[in-house]
Amino acid sequence: MSENHDHSHDHNDGHHHDHTPITIDETPGYYEILEISIRELLIARGLIGADEVTKQIEVLDSRSPVLGSKLVVKAWLEPDFKDRLLKDGNAAAEEMGITIYDNTAFTVLEDTPELHNVIVCTLCSCYPRPILGLPPDWYKSKEYRSRTVKEPRAVLAEFGTLIPEDIKVQVQDSTASQRYMVLPLRPAGTENFTQEQLESLVTRDTMIGVTIPKINNN
Amino acid sequence: MSTENLVKHLPNDIGGAGCSDDKVNIFERDLYPWEKRCHALLDVLDYHKIVNTEEKRRGTENIGSEMVGKLSYYEKWIVSASNLLMQKGILTPDDIAVKTKEVAARFNVVL
Repeated sequence: MSENHDHSHDHNDGHHHDHTPITIDETPGYYEILEISIRELLIARGLIGADEVTKQIEVLDSRSPVLGSKLVVKAWLEPDFKDRLLKDGNAAAEEMGITIYDNTAFTVLEDTPELHNVIVCTLCSCYPRPILGLPPDWYKSKEYRSRTVKEPRAVLAEFGTLIPEDIKVQVQDSTASQRYMVLPLRPAGTENFTQEQLESLVTRDTMIGVTIPKINNN
Repeated sequence: MSTENLVKHLPNDIGGAGCSDDKVNIFERDLYPWEKRCHALLDVLDYHKIVNTEEKRRGTENIGSEMVGKLSYYEKWIVSASNLLMQKGILTPDDIAVKTKEVAARFNVVL
């Protein structure tokens, strides 16, 4: 996807909402059978509700990078909101009607002309899911997790992002209780852009920090 | 060869251990339906404080380095959840053996 990853999710028509059915048509493998078994056992014991997993799938499907792009653009347009977002990400997200449903701390890292941020979870796959949706496979991969803290510039280059040597690159490692998102710099030449045009520049990858918003990516 | 590194770093603790030749495989895909259900199930277990996120994460490295290396992401999650539910005495190995057999039969699969 290196050539077209900025088009991989559409910021104009909202999130996917395919309501993945709980039933399956194809022959399941061992791990799927284990998943079905555990879910049905826990429901039968009354430990979880029969519809809770289905409802949580709807919550997962309702979250996408569109939410993050709205936070970023509001921060670009309203300095007071930016201050609140950087001070307390959870409260600022709530202000926009976004619930941090997994009870994690949400911290926003601001890029500056001297500093570029990128996020990783070296231990596993911690990610601001309530704001950006589920992470891509590469974010969870051994290569991304093991290399980003050691050679971030080389990893960023694989995403086509070349950070000039005089700009510091800061890598932030996430945990089960502390999640991060990058507030990228607003690109030059966007002074006359509408809010929607700005939001279309803020892709998932720009909020992870592996790419930067570009006008020609739109 | 020194065994010290095995003591200092558990299987998931790989920050900084990567080799520059191992390029990031950048691609996009949708989750399989069962993977999304597995994700949602673990979220629900976290809400109910039955298995929390950090227990689940630790559970994915307590399956041994061979499985850590060979199982896919959500395969590790469901095995981790299964082990933790047994360790906590919520489900027994028999519960899971009987139920998986029943579910497999539903799909005409023999485990």
